[in-house]
Amino acid sequence: MSKKYDVIVVGAGNGGLSAAAYLAKEGKKVLVLEKHNLPGGCATSFVRGRFEFEATLHEMCQMGEGENAGAVRKLLDSYGLDVEWVAIDEAFRTICTDPNNKYDVTFPVGVQEFIDEMEREVPGTRELMTNLMEFSRFICDGVDWLDKHDNEPSPLAKIDMMINWHDLMKIVPVPTDTFLRNIGMPDKAREIFESYWDYVGVDSTLMSAAVYLFMTYTYLTRKPYICKNRSHEISMAFDTAIRKMGGDIWYNCEVTKIDVKNNEVKGVELADGTYLECDRVISNLMPTVVYDRMMDPKEVPEYDKKLLNARDLASTCITVYLALDIPYEELGFKAYDTFLRHTGDNHVQYDSSAEIATHKDNCVTIINEVIPDCTPEGTTFVQFARFYKTDAWNEKVVSEKNYFKLRDQVADETIKQFEDYLGKSIRDHIEEIVVATPVTWARYLGTPYVDVYGYRAQTWDGMFPRVQMGHKEDYTIKGLRFVGGHGTQMDGYSQAYMSGREQARYMLQDMKEGK
Amino acid sequence: MAKYNYDKNMLKGLGVGAFLGEVKLREKHIEEAEAVMPKSVFNPNIVAAKLHPAHQNGVIVKVTEYNGAKKYTIAADKEAGTEKLAYFKSGQYIAFELEIGSAYVCKPYSLCSTPSAVFADDSIYEVTVKKTQSGFASDFILDTWKVGTKVVMSGPLGHFNYETLRDSKEVIAVAGGSGITPFLSMAKAIVAGDEDFNLTILFGSRTEDVIILKDELEEAVANSNGKVKVVHVLSDEEKAGFEHGFITAELIKKYATGDYSLFVCGPKAMYKHMDGVVKELGLPKRRVRFEMSGEYGSPVNDEAYPKENADKTFEIKVWIRGESQTVTGKADQSLLQAMEAAGIHVPSDCRSGQCGWCHSRLIKGDTYIPESADGRRLADKKFGWIHPCATYPLSDIELEVFPIR
Repeated sequence: MSKKYDVIVVGAGNGGLSAAAYLAKEGKKVLVLEKHNLPGGCATSFVRGRFEFEATLHEMCQMGEGENAGAVRKLLDSYGLDVEWVAIDEAFRTICTDPNNKYDVTFPVGVQEFIDEMEREVPGTRELMTNLMEFSRFICDGVDWLDKHDNEPSPLAKIDMMINWHDLMKIVPVPTDTFLRNIGMPDKAREIFESYWDYVGVDSTLMSAAVYLFMTYTYLTRKPYICKNRSHEISMAFDTAIRKMGGDIWYNCEVTKIDVKNNEVKGVELADGTYLECDRVISNLMPTVVYDRMMDPKEVPEYDKKLLNARDLASTCITVYLALDIPYEELGFKAYDTFLRHTGDNHVQYDSSAEIATHKDNCVTIINEVIPDCTPEGTTFVQFARFYKTDAWNEKVVSEKNYFKLRDQVADETIKQFEDYLGKSIRDHIEEIVVATPVTWARYLGTPYVDVYGYRAQTWDGMFPRVQMGHKEDYTIKGLRFVGGHGTQMDGYSQAYMSGREQARYMLQDMKEGK
Repeated sequence: MAKYNYDKNMLKGLGVGAFLGEVKLREKHIEEAEAVMPKSVFNPNIVAAKLHPAHQNGVIVKVTEYNGAKKYTIAADKEAGTEKLAYFKSGQYIAFELEIGSAYVCKPYSLCSTPSAVFADDSIYEVTVKKTQSGFASDFILDTWKVGTKVVMSGPLGHFNYETLRDSKEVIAVAGGSGITPFLSMAKAIVAGDEDFNLTILFGSRTEDVIILKDELEEAVANSNGKVKVVHVLSDEEKAGFEHGFITAELIKKYATGDYSLFVCGPKAMYKHMDGVVKELGLPKRRVRFEMSGEYGSPVNDEAYPKENADKTFEIKVWIRGESQTVTGKADQSLLQAMEAAGIHVPSDCRSGQCGWCHSRLIKGDTYIPESADGRRLADKKFGWIHPCATYPLSDIELEVFPIR
């Protein structure tokens, strides 16, 4: 088959869709190949009975609208996505059930509102929080400045950076926890402030303060967002937009091999034996998967092998989805997104998340808080997510034979922890229940062990160092680039969309420069 | 440059050196790592591959005849690369890929064997196929499958299974004809200790001599420690020891005590009747499960169907990977059936609009989608995607489908 496409995108997950849309918008002929029958990867939904469940979206960052639109919102708008976005007026609720350190706080969005709420909960923090928020505003502007320079400031701009943004440079390598302790934030306030850690996939001792402050401040000023019709809406909007811009998408079309010879991409091979010639491939699949399963081992560069072995895989996850036949108002629990934790110390949480037996913390999400009619009248969605920091579902604990029983047991414990907090049973109201374990994610995502957050964004391999090496240093095969939640921008929907833009832009540069 | 009022003391003792050294530090980490192939397959990947194979190869090792039905025992076809069949939850089905003349059909059948039989040396599934009036595929199976026939099938699918955390410990099962098969599997799973609930099966048949799988049901009842009960309900025959007539609310109340879940599996005609029964019983939705897999059938007698189309024939232009072909479809035929008849390998599993496996892009044309078989997601409706297995043409149609091979 002759070369019909400028770029083939392998995998229609968030990163792949974004890269494809970016390239199609720039006039490149793009083909997206997706092994499943739907686009989106994690960004999908499923139907049970009279309910359509959200598979994975908690909230999107860097959204906002109008004058206040953030980078992700601007990017998605530039693709012409037809999505009904819904803003959330709440940052998060955080509950600590430790008998010696109990609290239950819900934070609204808005910087002043956040400071006020923290002052109510931990009196005496107003001045410090105000100061921290002002510094966060500076960080956000600095990140925006970098973004305007495509994260690669020219030598001249670097002078500007040294003069105006040196405080950003100072804070980037400092772990969140260290920084907050240094500035004297009271323990309780620090624990509460660090609640978001679960969505970053590393605890606050490993996470860059700049990244954490940027994320938190952006949520407070631009609000968290979801979409009206579950995240399948975003993925289908991408499908529609990519086709409109001249791109093609083939579903049920598994790529089994990325053909690389002498360090250059030559094409891809499909499960049915079809060979598509193409010298540019963007992989939404993790590099670990591509190198280990889809390439001639002789062609995997030494540097890339070392890079992947230096890194750690991030988190795997179990999600319990419930549709209850009681109205939301009668559930006795109010909030969109809640961190329900057994200790305020996220380092202890992180360590206890290594094993099924010791894991005790849940993220509780109730879409009805934001979209009251997301379920039929008189019913409510309640979803629990818990992240494991290791291969917690390893061969010592789970096999094909005990799988269903173990799945039910973990779901039972998860629900019970919620009920214990609630002080009442919800068992008699479960109309639908679906449990997605690491085995389920393995089925649909295929990532190693089964990682939903890419590579652990620990300090040395955090967003800033990755971004600095994401153009020329990392991944050394000509014509092959990687996008997704495992990319330079770290995990999450927004970050995956941004990584698609970043790597598509680099690929356009490569094409121009003949690299 | 905007003005910022934060207290610079926060950054006391920090310099830009660490930032400027970040790339070097990362390079050092990379340099110190081993240059061996990174591992990408872990236990959850292996368990997922076992539980959810895309395809399985089987070979028929035994055929048991009933009046108007046959039970096929299928072993893993090791020669064809399937070492072991996938474990499942009783109530799930598998879909067989069939080449019938020039047509291609994917047909779902509930598993009636005990799940743990897949762990035996020969690793088996059992399905029971009954002769039906419109059974293009079932006729083919009953006529051609014999010991030694090789079959290709999907992994276990569907959600018509007992959920420990959702369903009542007391389950009343209503079965009509070959709808007994998932309940036989549940009964066997209870006996084997794979499931733990009390199952009372109200099994509707026309007459005693056409009751299928009767001996196996009796065996399960005998070995279940009182957990499994079977009540035969004969519609066309009055006999001592049998209930007579249709399965009514009265009959269910006679055998149900306290809180119970109602599971229903049988021909589509029975479901209309059972809808009324469920209403009469006043059960909450969480206590009622209907097995939906299987053909919706002709929609032309639906109240909502635009009758003037009933006898029409349409052209269906089918796009696959940028190339098109045109096939003919009748108004009472699903788009899936029309494409299958032309030998197009459209992926499908449930054939009832529920599983979404045949998810396809409607490019042009008007369609009829029965409300009860519209299992699409909200965004599919918004962006004009359909499930061809439960979509009927009302005009010429243009669509894009995504065959696996």
